[in-house]
Amino acid sequence: MALTELSFTFKADDPKPLPVEWSHTGVVGSGDMEVMFERKDLDGAVEFKVITPVTGFDQVWEKVLDRFVRDSGLADVSVEINDNNATPVVVGMRMRQAVEEARKEA
Amino acid sequence: MTDQDKLSGKSFYEATARERARGLVDEGTFTELCGPADRMSSPHLPVLGEAIEFDDGVVTGVGLVGKHPVFVISQEGRFIGGAVGEVHGAKMVGTFGLARQMYERILEEHPDELAERLPAVVISFETGGVRLHEANAGLLAHAEVMDQIQETKGKFPVIAMIGSKVGCFGGMGFVAAATDVVVMSELGRLGLTGPEVIEQEMGKAEFDSADRALVYRTTGGKHKYIMRDCNYLVEDSIASFKEALADVLSKPYDEIVKNRRIGSEELVDEQLDLVELSCEIQPKDARDVWAYFGNEDPAGIPEQTTEEFLRAAKRR
Amino acid sequence: MTNQPTAVWDSLKRDAEERRAAARPYVQEGKVVAADDTVALLEAVIRPGDKLNIEGDNQKQADFLAECLCKVDPAKVHDLHMVQSVLSMGTHLDVFDKGIAKKLDFSFSGPQAGRLAEYVREGKIEIGAIHTYLELYGRYFMDLTPRVALTVAVSADKNGNLFTGFNTEDTPVIVEATKFKQGIVVAQVNEIVDEVPRVDIPGDWVDFVVQAPKPFYVEPLFTRDPALITDSQVLRAMMVIKGIYGEYGIQRLNHGIGFDTAAIELLLPTYGEELGLKGKICSYFSLNPHPTLIPAIESGWVKSVHSFGGEVGMEDYVAARPDVFFVGPDGTMRSNRAFSQTAGHYALDLFIGGTLQIDKYGNSSTATATRVAGFGGAPNMGCDAKGRRHATPGWLKCGEEYGIQSELVGDLPRGKRLVVQLQETFREKLAPGFVEELDAVKLAKNANLDLPPVMIYSDDLTHIVTEEGIAYLHKCTTMAERMAAIRAVAGFTSVGMQEDPAETAGLRERGIFKTPADLGIDVARANRSMLAAKNVKDLVKWSNGLYNPPARFRNW
Repeated sequence: MALTELSFTFKADDPKPLPVEWSHTGVVGSGDMEVMFERKDLDGAVEFKVITPVTGFDQVWEKVLDRFVRDSGLADVSVEINDNNATPVVVGMRMRQAVEEARKEA
Repeated sequence: MTDQDKLSGKSFYEATARERARGLVDEGTFTELCGPADRMSSPHLPVLGEAIEFDDGVVTGVGLVGKHPVFVISQEGRFIGGAVGEVHGAKMVGTFGLARQMYERILEEHPDELAERLPAVVISFETGGVRLHEANAGLLAHAEVMDQIQETKGKFPVIAMIGSKVGCFGGMGFVAAATDVVVMSELGRLGLTGPEVIEQEMGKAEFDSADRALVYRTTGGKHKYIMRDCNYLVEDSIASFKEALADVLSKPYDEIVKNRRIGSEELVDEQLDLVELSCEIQPKDARDVWAYFGNEDPAGIPEQTTEEFLRAAKRR
Repeated sequence: MTNQPTAVWDSLKRDAEERRAAARPYVQEGKVVAADDTVALLEAVIRPGDKLNIEGDNQKQADFLAECLCKVDPAKVHDLHMVQSVLSMGTHLDVFDKGIAKKLDFSFSGPQAGRLAEYVREGKIEIGAIHTYLELYGRYFMDLTPRVALTVAVSADKNGNLFTGFNTEDTPVIVEATKFKQGIVVAQVNEIVDEVPRVDIPGDWVDFVVQAPKPFYVEPLFTRDPALITDSQVLRAMMVIKGIYGEYGIQRLNHGIGFDTAAIELLLPTYGEELGLKGKICSYFSLNPHPTLIPAIESGWVKSVHSFGGEVGMEDYVAARPDVFFVGPDGTMRSNRAFSQTAGHYALDLFIGGTLQIDKYGNSSTATATRVAGFGGAPNMGCDAKGRRHATPGWLKCGEEYGIQSELVGDLPRGKRLVVQLQETFREKLAPGFVEELDAVKLAKNANLDLPPVMIYSDDLTHIVTEEGIAYLHKCTTMAERMAAIRAVAGFTSVGMQEDPAETAGLRERGIFKTPADLGIDVARANRSMLAAKNVKDLVKWSNGLYNPPARFRNW
């Protein structure tokens, strides 16, 4: 019944560090999520912490986030996600928006 | 186009709590306090397997409108219907505390400029009231916020902004009623018991919550404006709400508090007269009340634009 | 020479006369029967084993007559064979529960799908077949002609002339099949008037009219509140407009029901305009009067709309736009499902809609393991009309691209209907939109159906659009290639996870799979601000106050 916590670490081939200290996007509505980026020296890697009420989708999260890191080139960032049943599509979209917001803020 | 331009043109109804908080004060002046980076989420929800949010569903912070420091509390209806839990409530209460400190400081440092530097608390409501998952803490938070509002009396104004999707219901309906000024759009809804609960308790024949037109006639901005439960009725844009806020703050405090609907013996008498009136005219629908106050085409009122409505509406 | 009649050629007519005679005690003036006598009327005109039609589709319902049928004495009326478009009300199943009816031939059962599956399993209902609308109407004139039809109209005069008006829907086809084969037609009406505004059904085709105690029920099924359209629906709509409508110059189409197609309609005056496609796409529709089409109509995009049924609240708007809709001499629209379906089968260049599941081969269905739903008109529009003999540019282009065209017809040119499925890879509660095997297969076993209910077969499906991109399936030359293209758009579902990136890259090179970027679409722009109307009130404004939404959609 408690919330599930998932952790992943990925590394992009062509790393582009976050241009701001931190950035936040999204609202934890039903079928939605929020994401927090924080710059952290991780030797080029991106670490994820996902808090979600959903179980049984660990592999999907892994694939979605891995692909996001490869596509965005994000590096040296700690990412925290609060999820409430977001579909992989919504996850991908919110992650892209978060990176855009961060790059706009800079 | 700057970010603020985009925000001010944006629908207040569709805006997130954070967009509303930023858009209600002058461009670039908003500082969020206890924001997502502080991770002040609910300690109770994880135990129940319920999703959490870093800000616990409420954005709090401070910005400027002219020279007025404006302390903003903006609730997020998408997160558990904007319901008030322990942390959410504590953030509301804390914001009032900061506003009071600011008031004391201005009184001390700028006694001659109190009028133009008078602080204010603005609550952008989007809530159904108590969060049932942490009901005791939520109830307590309601009482504390009420206390905080009392503490502001005679000092600085508290202004309610209601125009978001969830509306303002449950205990927070009382809180909104206790503020000095209520600003709504016609999309805003204000009440105590939500439509679904009325239907559940009293039956579909009494109140059909799926009949959205009925729900709006009974709780919506236009009705509340006619009944004088709402002081300002504005268009559905962040800019319109901000304009109303600036207008309120341009007035002397003594003028502003004349907008109160409760809080004096005189006002209590007025409210009691309304109870008497409702026994007398036995309204079957809000339209009967609108007609009673002299609105010639009550059926046409929901169809009017805000502008047309404001020009023609006959209020209590 | 004298003719010795050896055979009787008018037994049906004589039988009908006998039935009418039995009903005579209940007839008041002209053809009018009192609401209180309706059960007795039905017992008089219906015989055990009759094929019986209760009118009702996904919109209007002969609800009062259906209720009365449930009250007949099962000792007098039993073993009926129901032939009807839709099972949507509880009463439609109650007649089986009560032993009044036994067999069922139908098209669609949306809200009652779960109960229907249960009854079939329990042996309470014997299903003949699940049809498309046109298929069922066809059988009304072949081997499933109703003996008695319980139909519904807005008003009638005492001679039985019916005004079916805006929601004419299925009435003409049912009445014609029944009456011209010597059957009995009973109509429930909202009111009996001295003169009907327009004669939709001539009085001599109707035997009895009953003024129902309440106006007939109509479901506003095609109203979608723009406030509920999501960003990912906007993205798919942008892909459809640019990558399909624009690419093929689609002028004649049908939009299936749903938020995805509502998003397309609301992007025509914004994104469509920006792409310079006005006048080049979306001029002619076979479509119910969708409120979300108002902004496109008002912006001058739409030349013509013929409708299967009406839509609650659109009456005045439609009547005020007779250049676009099919409006009668009385000044109001007449819908007609049979004709609109005919247009939908033969005169469309594209059908687009959503579904619940698509399998790894590209077959799709809205059935689940425990619900016998049916598909109404979708399969007739969502297929290549093999009898079509006229050409349009989009149809020809799709045919030219068809990967196995030469295998089928050699070097002759032939076009192909575009059949597009819009699919979210995951729906609410993370239910996958792509599956190894359709739930319909399990349903066929659970409910003893002869074949799994498939809405659109893979060989008819030409395009799948998901947030991953568009699969141009018709360009594939083999099933293996087709399956690879489906994997490419299937995202993170179990089907999509089997994608081979190298294979997908090959498909992209050949234009069989295109991502939003390949289509030149900026994903960041895909959000609700692109919509021409963001809520129902905006639609009312676009209509200049002519659209009158039902109370449940009025957020003001």
